[in-house]
Amino acid sequence: MADGHHHHPNYFMVFIALCVCTALSVGADLLSLDNKLVLAAIVMAIASAKALFVMMYFMHLKFEGKWKFILLAPTVILAIGLPLALLPDVGVHYYTVDVPQDPATGSAAETDEHVADGHGDSHGSSQPKSHE
Amino acid sequence: MSHAQPQAPAVRMGLAIPNSKLCMWLFLGTEIMFFTAFIGSYIVLRMGSPGWPGDPAVTHINVLLGGTNTFVLIVSSYFVVVAHEAVTEKNYERARLFLTATFALACLFLVIKGFEYGGKISHDILPGRIPETSQQAMEKTLGQFDVATSNALGDLMPDEEHDGLRIAGLPTAIADAESPEEKAELESLQALMAEILALKTEVRAETGLTLDDFEERVDAMAAKESYAGFMGHVHVSHPIKYGNLFASTYFLMTGFHAIHVLVGMLLFAIPLCKPAAQLAEYTDYIENSGLYWHFVDLVWIFLFPLLYIVQF
Repeated sequence: MADGHHHHPNYFMVFIALCVCTALSVGADLLSLDNKLVLAAIVMAIASAKALFVMMYFMHLKFEGKWKFILLAPTVILAIGLPLALLPDVGVHYYTVDVPQDPATGSAAETDEHVADGHGDSHGSSQPKSHE
Repeated sequence: MSHAQPQAPAVRMGLAIPNSKLCMWLFLGTEIMFFTAFIGSYIVLRMGSPGWPGDPAVTHINVLLGGTNTFVLIVSSYFVVVAHEAVTEKNYERARLFLTATFALACLFLVIKGFEYGGKISHDILPGRIPETSQQAMEKTLGQFDVATSNALGDLMPDEEHDGLRIAGLPTAIADAESPEEKAELESLQALMAEILALKTEVRAETGLTLDDFEERVDAMAAKESYAGFMGHVHVSHPIKYGNLFASTYFLMTGFHAIHVLVGMLLFAIPLCKPAAQLAEYTDYIENSGLYWHFVDLVWIFLFPLLYIVQF
């Protein structure tokens, strides 16, 4: 193998690190933090660390040549590009979200034509709608 | 590189890795885009849907089962690298042992996943089946009543072909009942169906009947002894805001991941069908299958916190 000439990393230590990270994720959840964004940041940071361990050591990327950057760069760019492209409309929008499920607007929606006229059919309309 | 000296050892063109490994990495590149499309869309959809269901009592998400599955995949990933290490050291029996253990852990992962899916299916946490408003919740409960009364009609009047004929023939069946018990049962069913019809009319006329009022009415019906035999499977549904979007994304992501687990099992099954001595021919194959398996683990590493832990 191409990587046969170098020393294997200590896989067992990597495995232990991954187990500790998993336990930390579950532990963070069991803490019942009030600020859910802090919890999200903690568990996603742990997940990223785990992903890094797996990619670097189990998948040997640490020991591969520079081809890894050329091969993975386009996929990483596209992977980041997709959520960024969706973000302005679906995630963050300047207009008011008006959905039948939303209690703020839904009380009106439930009693008027919103549900009955098919805007919010029996399967539940999940797309935010613009007031415009 | 392309101007190699004639006396020099044969120089291999391209990258200093086997073609099979390069192909696997190219494939994994497409796989990264495949899953990041799902995961990225999920994050964005979730951010744009205030009130996304996060309560485990509602979503039936079990963090301990998810954590166990994470552990199972991590152990299996470790076993794959040990198997690969063993095969490069020509210790084929050890390689075979660890590949078998990896295969068994993949099975365990799917069993746990199946158990989780079973919980969601039994609670009807399925795309397109979750009421998201009070009106939809009441409609869904009325649907359960329809199924319950249809079943009861079928049991009590098996000779009639369909529900329409059974309902039309109910007064005659009551008059012709062979025993007082049968007559009482048919009368109870008739009375229950009349109550359901009245309730249905009220719900559909949108008279301002709230879900609480509706639940009270259903509870009162369930409390009647004469209806007990017909209402076993009926319970009042409650709305789950964005429940369908949650269920769609959950099943899409975990479903595609489970398909990848199945493919991984198939990849490991092939060398496992061979005698241990033949594993020498599978050194590259085991490394490449291992890369694939680590990727499957990698996807789960992100799915676990996103689906099981993060709630905002």
